[in-house]
Amino acid sequence: MSLRDQLDAVIADTDRPYGLAVDRDKAIAIAVFLVPGLTLFTIFSVGPIAYSAIGSFYSWDTFTMEHFIGLDNWIRSFTDPLIVNWSNMRELQYPMGALTHNLLWVVLHVPASTFLGLAIALLFADLKGRRILRSMVFAGFTVPPIVIGLVLMFVYDPQAGIFNEFLRVIGQGHLVRNWTQSPQVAIYALIAGGIWVHTGFSMLLYSSALSAIDPSLIESAKVDGAGAWRRFWDIIWPLVKPVTAVVVIMGIIWVMRMFDIVYAAGGAAGGPNHAYSVLGIEVYRAAFRPQIDYGMAMVVALLQLFIVAPLALYIARMR
Amino acid sequence: MTSIAMGGVSKYFDAGETVANYRLTLEVVDGEFLVFLGPSGCGKTTALRLIAGLEQPSEGAIYFDNERVDGRSPSSRNVAMVFQNYALYPHMTVAENIGYPLRVRGVPPDERDRKVEAVTTLLHIEDQVEKKPAALSGGQRQRVALARAIIREPSVFLLDEPLSNLDAKLRQEMRIELKRLQNELDITTVYVTHNQEEAMSMADRVVVMNQGTIQQVAPPQELYERPRTAWVARFIGSPPMNLFEGTRQNGSIDFGEAGAVELDSVVRAGETDDPVDTTPPEDGTTASVVTSDVQGEVALGVRPEDLTITTSRPTTGNVIEGRVDTVEPLGEYVLVNVTVNDQLVNAKLADGTVSRDERVYLTFDNDDAYLYDENGELVG
Repeated sequence: MSLRDQLDAVIADTDRPYGLAVDRDKAIAIAVFLVPGLTLFTIFSVGPIAYSAIGSFYSWDTFTMEHFIGLDNWIRSFTDPLIVNWSNMRELQYPMGALTHNLLWVVLHVPASTFLGLAIALLFADLKGRRILRSMVFAGFTVPPIVIGLVLMFVYDPQAGIFNEFLRVIGQGHLVRNWTQSPQVAIYALIAGGIWVHTGFSMLLYSSALSAIDPSLIESAKVDGAGAWRRFWDIIWPLVKPVTAVVVIMGIIWVMRMFDIVYAAGGAAGGPNHAYSVLGIEVYRAAFRPQIDYGMAMVVALLQLFIVAPLALYIARMR
Repeated sequence: MTSIAMGGVSKYFDAGETVANYRLTLEVVDGEFLVFLGPSGCGKTTALRLIAGLEQPSEGAIYFDNERVDGRSPSSRNVAMVFQNYALYPHMTVAENIGYPLRVRGVPPDERDRKVEAVTTLLHIEDQVEKKPAALSGGQRQRVALARAIIREPSVFLLDEPLSNLDAKLRQEMRIELKRLQNELDITTVYVTHNQEEAMSMADRVVVMNQGTIQQVAPPQELYERPRTAWVARFIGSPPMNLFEGTRQNGSIDFGEAGAVELDSVVRAGETDDPVDTTPPEDGTTASVVTSDVQGEVALGVRPEDLTITTSRPTTGNVIEGRVDTVEPLGEYVLVNVTVNDQLVNAKLADGTVSRDERVYLTFDNDDAYLYDENGELVG
């Protein structure tokens, strides 16, 4: 190549819009950095979801996909009394089905743990030693849920359990029973345990939200004439509302994915005669316990995903 | 309308470890504009919070119109307060913010709207009522905070460094507007600032505070003309008063190598020039007795604007010798820094014909000199 040609090439290079070259370099760099993460995401998240979505329309011989059967798995799952037990629901008898149980967790556990978390956060806000108190309440959430389940077994034990002992002490001895094995009350006992654990989490979020409120706002409201109750409703509550959305949705996600506590208390059956089984338990049983029904496991897992994913998406896109 | 009285009010924090206010005794007359002035951490904001009811005194009593109010909540005292950071409720619109004190008091919505409209018009923020505080400029937020404070016609109006977050130009505008507003509304106002220009320009009387105690309570002019302690003298004025340290010796003040000044002439001048208190001290002592009482270390105060500089030694009057350290031409005047006995003093001159390291003579009139004894108290 002659000198003239090289010079022309340089000039041609500079004539090209400069930004374009940089953008291409940037795009390559972005792609390079994204590949490892995307690979893992594809293998462990997108792949299995797609696999389940497809597999849910096929018949299975244990773990081998056989032939397309349309909505068969779906219809079978939704009519299975283990998922939704319409006749027991009408009579308000447990088991009512795993999906119903999960929704019951949502209805009871989420408002209770949210409310308690806020109440405790408010209570601790101006106390001396609030850090220690907060750590104590939060400690429950740091323990693996399976351990919480085992702890609940001890708490509710008919002989040695502290809860039954408490009932005896306050003179309610006739209520003493094996709480986790009594079909009609066991789910409430477990939900109570879940609330205890999850309150620590919502308290922590509310505490940080409360400490982010400028104290002069509260003082200003005091000077403006607002009493404690008005200060809460007019100033504090509106300012911690975004956190409430996070607390509630995280609570719903947490109970929809519930498995460990129920498994520890009731094993793979989800309690006596599936009395407090949840969707997670049904997926596990369908997939790994004989009679293995892989198609149904996929359907139930997808059902969990359909409920949880939009909520997770909402949180991820907040602000 | 309300007058405020504080009697021996002290405030301790951390179980007495920290003394924020110590035995404040003070009266604020009805309709007065009183300014607490002092450096950071002097306890002026705590004093304001005590009046507001956001803090309760550790000892002493606070009265609003002869009614004891310490121990009562802020809302029952009917005070309104403007905070340094304005403390606007971020989730409410401007109109909701301003109307909030009325809403809390159960004022019906249409009356509330009428008052909000009136007060926003008064403060020229009627176009902003639908906005959230985050969408406002600093000056507009300031006005919203003021509007919220005045809408319910409080008996006492408290302002905690309300202008410190504004830029210089806006601060000056708001200063004038605040003063005018206070005049129109005629509400007893207590204002806290560390900015003496603000204090001097707005106050009916200024309370100078240091280390939790009141140093002096006086109208701005008196504060400037007759600072009661050396500390106040050093705090008021820009640049503040020069204090020449010397020793009293046989009827004169000796400044060592810098010369000496006749003691009697200085003290007598201070006494006869007293603009407010011309009666002799209550214990019956006269000026000459006071003069002979002055012992040992003293400080002679002269404001920079009252000093003149000559390069040749004058034969009469008060003369202090020094050496020019630096000359700062500031346009409006020239600030000459002179070293006198290793102490740097300032002189404000119309023009600066002196140069660095030149030997100069500082002179001043008897009337412009203040003598402070070893405890820093004004003599005479």
